[in-house]
Amino acid sequence: MQKIHIRYYIACFLVLIGILACKNLLEEDPKDQVFVDNFFETENDATAAVNSIYSILNATSNAPSFGGVYFSTYWLATGLCSDEMENRLPVTDLDQLDEFSHRPVNGALYEFWSLAYKGINNANFAVQGIPNVQAAESFKNGRIGEARYLRGMLYFDLVRWFGDIPLVLTLDGVATPSRNSKTEVFAQIISDLEFAAQNLPESYPAGNGLGRATKGSATGLLAKVYLTQGEWQKCVDQCNTIINSGKYGLYDDYADAFRIPNENGKETIFGVGFGTANNSISFWEAGQFNVRLLPKQLTGQIPGVNAQGWQVATQNLYDSYDPQDRRREVTLLTTIKNQDGSTTTVEPHFQKYWDKVNEPLAGNTDHDFPYMRYADILLMKAEALNELNNGPNAEAYLAVNQVRKRARFNGTATLNILPDLQGLDYSAFKNALLLERRHEFAAEGHRWFDLVRFRQLEALVPLAKPSVQPQPFHYLFPIPQGEIDLNPNLLPQNTGY
Amino acid sequence: MKQQLLLVFLFVLSAIAAHTQTITGTITSAEDGSVLPGVSVVVKGTRNGTTTNQNGSFELADAQGATLVCAFLSYETQEVVVGNQLVINIVLQPSAGLLKDVVIVAYGTVKKSDLTGSISSISSEDLSRTAPVSLDQALQGRAAGVQVTQVSGRPGGQTSIRIRGSSSINAGNEPLYVIDGMLITSDNGETNAGGTAGAGLNGLSAINPGDIERIEILKDASATALYGSRGSNGVVLITTKRGKAGRSSVTLDTYYGVQQVSKQLNMLNGETFANFMNNYSKDSGLPLDARYLIPEKIGEGTDWQKAIFRQAPMQSYQISVLGGSENSQYSVSGGYYKQEGVILNSDFDRFSIRTNLDQKVNNWLKIGSSISLSKIQSRGVLTGAQSAGTGTLLPGATSSALLFPPTLPVLDPAEKGGYTLKDDRGRNIGNPVADALETDNISNVSRAIANVYGILTLAKGLNFKASAGIDGFSVKDNRFVPNYLQRSLPNNGDAVVATVDGQSWLTEFTLNYNKKIGTRHAFDALAGNTYQGFHSERVFAFALDFPDNRTGWHSLGSALNPQPAGTGESNWGIISYLGRLNYGFDNRILVTLTGRVDGASKFGKNNKYGFFPSGSIAWKLHEEDFIKKLGWFYTLKTRLSYGTIGNQDIFPYASLATVGAVGQGTFNNGEAYIGQEPLRYPNPALKWERTNQFDFGIDAEFAKGRLGATFDIYQKQTSDLLLFTPLPTTTGFSGALFNIGSLRNRGLELALNSNNLSGALSWQTDLNFSINRNEITALSSGADIFIPGVLTVPSGWSILRVGESIGTFHGLVSDGIFQTDEEAMSSPHLKAQKPKAGDRKYKDLNSRDAQGKLTGQPDGVIDEADRTIIGHANPDFTWGLTNKFTWKGIDLSVFIQGVQGNQIVNAYLFEIGSLNSETNVLQEFYDNRWTPENPNNKYPKINPSERNTFSDAQVEDGSFVRLKNITLGYTLPKKVLKRTKLERLRIYGSINNVKTFTNYRGYDPEVNAFGQSSLLQGIDYGGYPLSTSIIGGIQIGF
Repeated sequence: MQKIHIRYYIACFLVLIGILACKNLLEEDPKDQVFVDNFFETENDATAAVNSIYSILNATSNAPSFGGVYFSTYWLATGLCSDEMENRLPVTDLDQLDEFSHRPVNGALYEFWSLAYKGINNANFAVQGIPNVQAAESFKNGRIGEARYLRGMLYFDLVRWFGDIPLVLTLDGVATPSRNSKTEVFAQIISDLEFAAQNLPESYPAGNGLGRATKGSATGLLAKVYLTQGEWQKCVDQCNTIINSGKYGLYDDYADAFRIPNENGKETIFGVGFGTANNSISFWEAGQFNVRLLPKQLTGQIPGVNAQGWQVATQNLYDSYDPQDRRREVTLLTTIKNQDGSTTTVEPHFQKYWDKVNEPLAGNTDHDFPYMRYADILLMKAEALNELNNGPNAEAYLAVNQVRKRARFNGTATLNILPDLQGLDYSAFKNALLLERRHEFAAEGHRWFDLVRFRQLEALVPLAKPSVQPQPFHYLFPIPQGEIDLNPNLLPQNTGY
Repeated sequence: MKQQLLLVFLFVLSAIAAHTQTITGTITSAEDGSVLPGVSVVVKGTRNGTTTNQNGSFELADAQGATLVCAFLSYETQEVVVGNQLVINIVLQPSAGLLKDVVIVAYGTVKKSDLTGSISSISSEDLSRTAPVSLDQALQGRAAGVQVTQVSGRPGGQTSIRIRGSSSINAGNEPLYVIDGMLITSDNGETNAGGTAGAGLNGLSAINPGDIERIEILKDASATALYGSRGSNGVVLITTKRGKAGRSSVTLDTYYGVQQVSKQLNMLNGETFANFMNNYSKDSGLPLDARYLIPEKIGEGTDWQKAIFRQAPMQSYQISVLGGSENSQYSVSGGYYKQEGVILNSDFDRFSIRTNLDQKVNNWLKIGSSISLSKIQSRGVLTGAQSAGTGTLLPGATSSALLFPPTLPVLDPAEKGGYTLKDDRGRNIGNPVADALETDNISNVSRAIANVYGILTLAKGLNFKASAGIDGFSVKDNRFVPNYLQRSLPNNGDAVVATVDGQSWLTEFTLNYNKKIGTRHAFDALAGNTYQGFHSERVFAFALDFPDNRTGWHSLGSALNPQPAGTGESNWGIISYLGRLNYGFDNRILVTLTGRVDGASKFGKNNKYGFFPSGSIAWKLHEEDFIKKLGWFYTLKTRLSYGTIGNQDIFPYASLATVGAVGQGTFNNGEAYIGQEPLRYPNPALKWERTNQFDFGIDAEFAKGRLGATFDIYQKQTSDLLLFTPLPTTTGFSGALFNIGSLRNRGLELALNSNNLSGALSWQTDLNFSINRNEITALSSGADIFIPGVLTVPSGWSILRVGESIGTFHGLVSDGIFQTDEEAMSSPHLKAQKPKAGDRKYKDLNSRDAQGKLTGQPDGVIDEADRTIIGHANPDFTWGLTNKFTWKGIDLSVFIQGVQGNQIVNAYLFEIGSLNSETNVLQEFYDNRWTPENPNNKYPKINPSERNTFSDAQVEDGSFVRLKNITLGYTLPKKVLKRTKLERLRIYGSINNVKTFTNYRGYDPEVNAFGQSSLLQGIDYGGYPLSTSIIGGIQIGF
């Protein structure tokens, strides 16, 4: 037999080395990322997954927007689509909301829709995965409670804006879901919030969770859900749970409710954190309230101030206050003190988010977004009792008059204004409540919801904006056209659009 | 039997007879008369032989009366009848155009006449003429079907190359680069550490073009399919200089040049700007601004372009030593290249060395290596608009030089840094001179590309080749913006140190067999497998708030506000099996079949492998009698090829559902909290993008080969397009990468080369001409995809639409100027606008119904629905023309290049074409503005009521004809050199970018603010302008 030449051995040897060295070349195993399927192992993973939901409330890195769900669009849309706010920024999407000419093609509405669903998917990720974590059941239920609170909150806002919406509850569902009925969505919201109310702590110590959703956050939101559904007794019960807990109360001065040191204090049922102040959870994005709402003229007067005056208050809002109502001066700015001592008068601008003591240079702010304050609990209770008894009872007066009483205090003294409500019939009391809410919650993202709940859009908006006449179909926003284009299962569009 | 015995007898007799004498001789080269050592001299039909010594001489016994066979690499083998001579001197002819007639193809070479695919070759002579920093620049205008755009004039700046158009949207569009068989990393994204701001460095600039012998560009499927999943954008094969047996040479090549910006824009001077401001105040009913009250006093003011531009030197030194014997060849070279940029404080500095070795070990083993190392240091100027790290949108030096008010001085001793801090028109633009001079923006690049090979001859015609290579790069970016610059004022100074280290390795095994059966059938078969892996790691450190500017990025620790450091890594791998069969029938019909199976890690679990076959056939018609009879052709060949090639150039991990950090936040008084969320919508079905390419070509030569023509017509159809497709946001994602959609490139290419004159005066002309049509044939949902806004340009400026090309501009159509206020208010206008006489008028073309569908009917309002297609970034055709003359040692070449029929979005015009008082403006727009006294239909008035509206008013014709290069050289005659030790001496002068003929208003029509991006092509803003350079050089051979 012929001897095999060494060159053949060399060739085979080289090929063999090559093959052995190249095993697993096609496996993808990214070390800087973790797979969805095996992410949940430790307590930290549970916490991180829940944090990602909080993060989207505040900020997003998904272009084109950088603000999260409650960064601006939420309270801009609900403010502009009402009698409290007007748009001065030349952006068509916002002009449309201001003028009630918004259509299915509207960037602001689409932004809210997509950000809210991003948060919901992150919540689904947490709810689905946290049970796999190695930790005490109570810890896991606490984190799941946070996720379900936040999911319930996002669904509650979505269902109020858009009506029937897809109920997405898992990560791996179909990409083109159909719309679920409002009833189904509300059932899910209540289930989420009840779970949260049972499993969340009453509070967190400062420096260890302050700012996260609490039992009170879930209970307060349940009250709002029941109020929206017309379940008056259930609403009253939830409000009473909060009131009787003794954890919450009103600051003596309305202005103190908007001081940065008081964030997550006794008046906060739930707030969305911005900036870094006060040891409470917040993600990188600072708030834009001041940049957006303070008058442009301020920029020249105080060096370092960045104020653009993109949205302003309606004159109608300004005029509706008692001139001495503490809430008018805290909420609205009409005169600017110039450096030379003179003053400039400007149209009413919102200034309630400007904590002049802690942030003298208005601009990016650490101010949180007050999603729900204790005053809302009191006014909701009064509203529900009025409905329940077809007129206000003593308890209802007691609730609303606490809010009015506070407004009389001008920081140093209690003025003889805004007398306690009394002797009103059902309708008069209801109207008084709507006005009270308007004064209390201006620019806090309540007004459109309130006008819708009180069925007053058509009647009240033209008083503030004479050229604007809302229609019955404006009680819902249109499903974003961009979303329908990608998912025809969302058809039909809400009536009127 | 008897005859055989007789033969043996005669042979023995003759051997005895010849034994008595030894013959001697010297072998020289016919080219230059030099002696050739290492030539093999063998008596024909025997094993009796020797090789020439160092002096080219040989001694051989028993050779009288015999025939000697003299064989030497790169020379024609020669047979010499000895007769009865005892001293025999032999002159060897260099193999006539040996290199010229061979074409490098994937994993081998092929005789040019036997080529069945579509390939363009570029010689080193043409490459070096324009003194390019990097090889891709040298390709510009040289080959049909290859469009090279120099997207940045920064020294070492990026280019974008499209071979036969863009064949992808979201996956890469740059060709594959193969240097001496090593598939290198050419994606600028991979080699960019991301720490510097402004125009990035070209990854290929680490390769010294002076080392390149030739470049082959593979275009059709037959040529590229052997590179399988990476061939769809074409392949650039680079061959570096290797030693040649016998002839050692030392070459010194050096040049020095000066560059200057080719063009400055005509902006208002100080006085006119003041007049402009005063007119502005009048128009808007404001009191006159005290700053501008006496325009004459302001005079010229500051010419900010002049202030940041400079005359900049460039120089290059290259020394190469090539040589070897028949068994060993070497090539060693070193180069140093230094170029100052035409903008202050920008430069490029490269030191590179290369060693190429080849050794024949014995009659069955050959080994070799190619090793190159380079080190680059480059300073870039922030020319773009976005600053890395902070993401702050502030114009860079070139754009601010246009925008900055000419009424302000460069220096202001009252300011902290001694410079005028910012503009005084409320735009908050930083001082361009301070920006350029005081910002550190440094990239350090080290790159090693090395590979080794061994060829084993297993049997006659059967060769086994093993090779292994590494392409390693290490990039470090350092950036510092001192705290007194406007750019960093909010941060009080910021610094970045960023690195990326990456290696790609490649192992290849191929088996090659060639055999002739009879006289008519020739086979050449290749089979092999290859493995390639890539790994890179990144670190990004970033700090804010530097109270002291002296240490800058050198000491990130001295920052008061350090930011969290970022890290990243990337891995991918590809396993391939490949094969090729060449079959030649009777030297008339040539068939090539190739196939490659690629498995890539980037794709979904079930779609990792893809098969990429191709087939081609060529027919040498000139061998056929019916063509010969015509007598028209010297050679004539037709080629036909079809094949499938792939594209895997996407980010790794796109198919996986992974979790990643989101929303870094603080909690618990500074305790960092991180959220983790699903990063992407998983698509386990992600797979190859496939391009099917058809090519028909004709190669013809006329007049005894003096006139040659190559013509190709092709169609590339890309399917399973890797497209970032929008998803319903109820999924939590706005989109994901899917294989949806298709697009098509069709085109034709023509290359002509003609030896118009030969003899004492020779004149040679090369012309290439290409047409490519790009068309999107299907998109995910059929609906248009709007490209988001960039820089000053609002969203939707470009669209992807079925039936249109990538890079289609989409905006309003302007319709002159409103002449009266009444006309303005009664005509359709932008909704939020209160138009006046002198404002720009737009056409009301369309509207939307409530569902957002276009109705095709005007509605009396100008809005986004009225946008229509207003331009294309892709040219109608491109061409290049080179004329070369030589006469008595004088050589002259003139290279002209042209691009015709493309449009450019001149994004500067939103600012310098709008008289809104915030920035300086173009003189032309100011002088020809609408005024009540001078009503016209061209440019809007001062203080227009709208701006930032994208329309055809910002879209300009980008066609150009460029006299790209003129080179004049003189080679000293041999006679003169004989007295010196020099072998060759050439001096030359060269001018690059001599003159550009264009209607484009910006710096240069050859722009792309977004580098290699196909989606964002044809947009001009804040780029580093192109320069004209004058070079003088000398080439010396020892």
